[in-house]
Amino acid sequence: MRQSFVKNISRVLLCSIVLTGPMGCSGFLEEKDPSNLTPESFYTIPDHAEAALASVYADLRFVGGGAGIFSANWQLLEALTGTSTTETAQNSDLNNLYSLVQDGNTVHIVNYWNGLYRVIANANQVLEKVPPITPMNDVQKSKILAEARFLRASAYFTAVQLWGDIPLITTPQTATTDQFSPTRTPQDAVYKLIVEDLIAAEAAGLPWMDISGRANLAAVKTQLAKVYLTMAGFPLSKGASHYKLAADKAFEVITYANANPSTINLFTNYKDVHSESTENRLEHLFMIQYNTVVAGNPMENFYPNFKPVTFNGPGGTGSSVPTPAFYKSYQTGDLRAKDQDGYFYTSYFNNGNGAPFELGAPYVFKHFNQTSAGRSGVAGTRQNNLNVPQIRYAETLLIYAEAQNEVGGPTQAAYDAMKRIRDRATLTTPALGDFGTASFREAVWRERWKELCYEQITWFDMLRLRKVYNETTNGFDNFVGHINLSSNQPLQQKHLLLPIPTQEMLNNPNLKTQNPGYN
Amino acid sequence: MGLLPQAHRGMQLSIKSIMIATLFVPAIYGNASANTYSKESTIELKVVDKTIKGKVTDSESGEGLPGVNVIVRGTSQGTTTDGTGNFTLSVPDNSSVVVFSFVGYTSQEIPVGNRSTINLALAPDTKVLSEVVVIGYGTAKKSDLTGSVSSIKEAELQERPATSLNQMMAGRMAGVQVNNNSGRPGGRTTVRIRGFSSINSSNNPLYVVDGVLLPQSTGDQFTNAIDFINPNDIVSVEVLKDASSTAIYGARGANGVILVTTRKGKSGESRITYDTQFSVNTIGPNKPQVLNAKEYLAVEDLSYANIKKYDPAGWASGKYASLDPMVRRKAYSAKFPGVFDANLNPLYDTDWFRESSQNKLSQNHQLGISGGNERTQYSLSLGYRDDQGLIKTSYMKRYSGRFTIDDQVKSWLKISGTLSYNNQSDRLVDVNDAVARQIVEDFPFLPVKYADGTFANNRDYPLAEGTMSSVHRLMGRQYIQNTQTTLGSLSATLNLAPGLQFKSILGVNIQTQEVNQSQTRTLNIGGNGNASVNNRKETFWSLENLLTYNKQFGPDHSVDGLLGISWQETNVFSIGGGINNFATDYFGFNNLGAGATNPSIGSGAFRFAFNSYFGRINYGYKNRYLFTATARADGSSKFGENNKFAVFPSAAIAWRVSEENFLKNNPIISNLKIRGSYGLTGNSEIPSYASLSLLSSNYATIYNDNRVSGTGINRLANPNLRWEKTAQTDAGIEIGLFKGRITLEADYYYRLTTDMLLDAPVPRSSGYATIRRNVGSMENKGFEFAINTVNIEKGSFSWTSNLNLSLNRNKVLSLATPSDIFNVGGPNFTNPTNIIRVGEPVGSFWGLTRLGVWSEAERDEAAQFRSYRNGLTMLPGDVKYLDVNGDRAITDADRSIIGNGSPKGWGAVNNNFKFGNFDATLEIQFMYGNKVMLMNLHPSEDRQTLANSYTSVLNAWTPTNQNSQIAEIRDTRAGYVTNVDTQWIKNGSFLRGRNALIGYTFPSAVTNRLKLNRLRVYASAQNFFLKVEDPIVGDPEVTPTNQGGGNSAFSQGMIWHNYPKPTTYMFGLQIGL
Repeated sequence: MRQSFVKNISRVLLCSIVLTGPMGCSGFLEEKDPSNLTPESFYTIPDHAEAALASVYADLRFVGGGAGIFSANWQLLEALTGTSTTETAQNSDLNNLYSLVQDGNTVHIVNYWNGLYRVIANANQVLEKVPPITPMNDVQKSKILAEARFLRASAYFTAVQLWGDIPLITTPQTATTDQFSPTRTPQDAVYKLIVEDLIAAEAAGLPWMDISGRANLAAVKTQLAKVYLTMAGFPLSKGASHYKLAADKAFEVITYANANPSTINLFTNYKDVHSESTENRLEHLFMIQYNTVVAGNPMENFYPNFKPVTFNGPGGTGSSVPTPAFYKSYQTGDLRAKDQDGYFYTSYFNNGNGAPFELGAPYVFKHFNQTSAGRSGVAGTRQNNLNVPQIRYAETLLIYAEAQNEVGGPTQAAYDAMKRIRDRATLTTPALGDFGTASFREAVWRERWKELCYEQITWFDMLRLRKVYNETTNGFDNFVGHINLSSNQPLQQKHLLLPIPTQEMLNNPNLKTQNPGYN
Repeated sequence: MGLLPQAHRGMQLSIKSIMIATLFVPAIYGNASANTYSKESTIELKVVDKTIKGKVTDSESGEGLPGVNVIVRGTSQGTTTDGTGNFTLSVPDNSSVVVFSFVGYTSQEIPVGNRSTINLALAPDTKVLSEVVVIGYGTAKKSDLTGSVSSIKEAELQERPATSLNQMMAGRMAGVQVNNNSGRPGGRTTVRIRGFSSINSSNNPLYVVDGVLLPQSTGDQFTNAIDFINPNDIVSVEVLKDASSTAIYGARGANGVILVTTRKGKSGESRITYDTQFSVNTIGPNKPQVLNAKEYLAVEDLSYANIKKYDPAGWASGKYASLDPMVRRKAYSAKFPGVFDANLNPLYDTDWFRESSQNKLSQNHQLGISGGNERTQYSLSLGYRDDQGLIKTSYMKRYSGRFTIDDQVKSWLKISGTLSYNNQSDRLVDVNDAVARQIVEDFPFLPVKYADGTFANNRDYPLAEGTMSSVHRLMGRQYIQNTQTTLGSLSATLNLAPGLQFKSILGVNIQTQEVNQSQTRTLNIGGNGNASVNNRKETFWSLENLLTYNKQFGPDHSVDGLLGISWQETNVFSIGGGINNFATDYFGFNNLGAGATNPSIGSGAFRFAFNSYFGRINYGYKNRYLFTATARADGSSKFGENNKFAVFPSAAIAWRVSEENFLKNNPIISNLKIRGSYGLTGNSEIPSYASLSLLSSNYATIYNDNRVSGTGINRLANPNLRWEKTAQTDAGIEIGLFKGRITLEADYYYRLTTDMLLDAPVPRSSGYATIRRNVGSMENKGFEFAINTVNIEKGSFSWTSNLNLSLNRNKVLSLATPSDIFNVGGPNFTNPTNIIRVGEPVGSFWGLTRLGVWSEAERDEAAQFRSYRNGLTMLPGDVKYLDVNGDRAITDADRSIIGNGSPKGWGAVNNNFKFGNFDATLEIQFMYGNKVMLMNLHPSEDRQTLANSYTSVLNAWTPTNQNSQIAEIRDTRAGYVTNVDTQWIKNGSFLRGRNALIGYTFPSAVTNRLKLNRLRVYASAQNFFLKVEDPIVGDPEVTPTNQGGGNSAFSQGMIWHNYPKPTTYMFGLQIGL
């Protein structure tokens, strides 16, 4: 009797130990991610500020991100211009861009929207979280904030030109913040933020140039000049006041460059425009940084379709290639159109460094990295570390020439600025006295088309000028009605803005109106 | 390859008729045999030594039993009883044993001795009804079940030897869909029970092995813990389908639960078994038909000639001069002599499928030893398996060992332990599409290797796509997955009082998985060779404590109850590194330090845990009315602070009509049960930390050409995140006729998933893409039907059949926003292939409607279309699409839902035959109403001469063959069109010969002489025929290569260059000592 009592007791004890024993502690269901940080635990020391800024720079690479087969996002800004066409038909989104039948589902458009707003979100994170970090060296803090402002302004500048009125988000978002489902802000207000940001960045004490690849004063000033130039034109049409602002701002850079020609200048030859050894220097005021330690150059869709121009053999897609019409529109003797010496190539070396062969058509050489692909007799390094240029001093000169002409006709300085571009192309330029305001205006535009082609700039020129270079007449057509020779399709009024991504409108009930002409 | 409409129709008819025949054969013969079994038959006997007579009666009624089988054991000598139960049988000698068997009765074996008369009363067999099945945290008599549970027993499992449990289950149970997605060794299976219940979370069922839950997380290539369990150790599988059976697993029961029972020792004589199989894979049905060398070169000539039609300006400018085939072949021959002759005719005609496949012998050896006494039982098993894939270099090798022990320590205490270790090495050649695709696209005029021993590749031929050959890839790339699994459990059972039992189970599953990769310098030109190693360790433990009570109160009331508490924790840690640029291919992945460029390293860790409380009560009244209620309160670390715990209840009721007086002892209906259940289950299979706001430190930028890491936004917090819930209603009926000669089970179910865990899209202006939220709902409704029949049982011949059929209809009811979900499904090249849209089934195909090809008569109309061909004018010979919105441009606005890969119905018909010592099995699997999307047609039919094409391009549009769906052949660079469209959608209904097996068990005379207990040999053919409604390339039962987890769960039916499924021939031997 007694024995069985003891036995029963011991059984009960055993059970209760097993039941409540090892895990009877709280915290078993709590979670803490050991491989990721939370916003609450970060942004406490200067290193965190640097890491936060690095995420903004990292996001700039969205332009090289994939947009379906054989395509990258940056092709959005080339396909619409009519200066390029494709040798493949596999990417229907890209086909739609070439044919000017883009809509709110076109993946390049969606990716640009998403990519730009992610740059903005990470920049907002820096601008909100870095100021409270203490202790922190003021110079370092001011530089980081300036760079973040430059990057945010640049993202907004691209977005506002593409879509017009857009959501203006200036603070980090959570699911409960006011701006989480924003309405469209009038573009005036967007430009106001862009100008504010750039002016603040300008005043922050950045160095004139920064060969590490970070934002610098020359880039900020040129970007500001370009913003003013754009505001002067369509759709804000602020006219003379902003042409003057643009000219003055660009001239500050030119003045510095003239005084420091070994710091800021034009390259003496076009190969340096796409050479690994000249990155972030002299003419390259700002570039998106690429290196295979993180990511290789994303411009390879400019390669011809399965022609062996690199070490990698027949691997190219040819999904962006020059139209024959645009290539032929270069004046005879223009160095920029000369095979391998300018911005085009019509022959290359088998597998990069083998026997020379004819390509049968012109291709874009401006982003061709001879170091990685190989060149005559020299094998390629296989590491395409070439950066993607964003702002070149050549553009600074052309901004000045154009803006100054609008302020009071062609001046000597404006003429000199344009002439430097033409001199490098070994073209003769009529005397200053041969130009009137109108002819000088078109001459500068023409140089913009020829000098800045395939750098994702031309489309913005078409939007602000509402003019398009006509390869056949060598003159300028009105935007609406111009026939893109890549597809023989006319540009329409609605093409002045891109459609807002369809999914974005579905996900944000406060985005009520689509841009005109799209549904 | 004859994509002719007439061919379709012929095929359609024949498949339908075969399907109908196969479906109804068992039923027809079932009826016929019901009449014949009572007839007398005579069997010729060769040896007549002694005659015995007797009468067989029913032990309950005492009446004579007609049709009873009376057989001499170990021989084919036998007879059946006549209309009054009498029989006469010749037996060899007095040592013979006579076996009496009859459907619905318990068999008896009677030694003859010196008797000449044997009168016998056979007792009705209640086994079918009293069959015990495993259920969640316990067992139950099949007759007492109130829920929907399917099971397969060992004998059936062994009929179709397979590499994994999932493969063995395929086609066995209604409502359980097992897709075998790859033909590689070990296969790649996905299991869906009653359709899809989730969009963002897992749709995989929960596996429970001997009471220990297996982790549901997936390893490399979506491998699952169940893939690394030796199927030879499994003795039974139960699948819990309705909410009443699964709700006891609460938050993890929504996708169904698969309970696996493994072999244990039995008291009595020790036994040794040795099973071995040898098999060979051969090229299976529907092999791709590609152009041969002459055909390809002719297509290339034509495609060049047609450039002048499709791009006259470019042609005139001389842009295409380098594409002249003569120029290309000449240039190629100059560099690679010996491939073309002096007249540029091809010297080779390579069949790349044959070159990249092999018919190597695979082997499997399984040794089992078990035994024990009343107190202690043990079992030990050892296994070795070496599967050589159809595609060269692919293999799966598995070494496994397992030990179990059960000991009755005290009258009140029993302990059990199991420990198993599995070491598996898989070399995969289908981690991406490359090899399977290249087999189709390799140029037939190329040799495999040039005279100098280097591989010939398409890229060697001027202006072709720059690819490497299939054989080069096979030899040059290693992808080896080494997985070690240690699975163990310890349990103690205490009898606390009569009917009251306490059980504690500690389970552990530790899995390490290495993935080692390398590519040679010639294959990975950009990196000059590369290599990487990745290692992942997953440690899981669980502790579950159960208190059970069961008691009969008087004659009418029976009660049993269960209370339980459970803790589970999983920790995962992974590390990996990789590098490029090797001076030699010698090292492979064995010396990363020898690489020079772009080293990368990474690591990660995560944890999740569950804490649960659960209970069940069963109440039976008069053995006729059965009632079950269960509930589980589940807590998971993965959920938001505000919602850690939730309760999942269920209830079920069953009425055993056949126990009612009016049906008891009914001569026809031996069992009739009607049951219904309702309950809630959950799905918690989201990644850890999804409710937290997180930053990512995986940003990287470049300053000064150096990598600089950054930290930025990553995930939005949702502290309210909670379970996905599935409410399921089930109504079922179970019928047994003629004492179990025919059994039938049918279920109707409706599953409604709400609070669906979705990566709900948010305005991208926030910088974020999604937030994990509980929104959205989806329904599945369906019907399941299974019938087992004994068609003939006569003398030593028997024929049994089973048929199972499942129908499921899925519909998305709501999503987070009206926005459709794209980027699900298969490889989204060219355009999105799939869409998830409210009101439609998940994963519908999305694309354009191909009307055909513009005809000469439509030239003017075609020219008005906004070009979708490289900006050039549309011409007769170009693809013509349906312009839905009439804007004369083919854009996203013209796309629509063009099909769905989920079948309307599927199932299998299995037939088993026994004749004397011979046995045979025939399994036919079918699926209908499923569409397949042939993504392969994009590179192999829509465009030519960048690589080789399917022979269907020979039927392309020409001015004299304008009624074609395929655009006129031309070089792609002259402008072409390709889009996801209806031409890629085919009817994938199919009928498959899954398994045909014939076996022979040696008679006891032979085995006795060899001192064996049992000796059986068998041979089988698996996947031996395949009839598909529409002619397609490959196998319709697929999802794309390298897919299967996450959103690509919805790529059901998408064919994109999978590992081809072989026909396998097998020979096996089973020895028992």
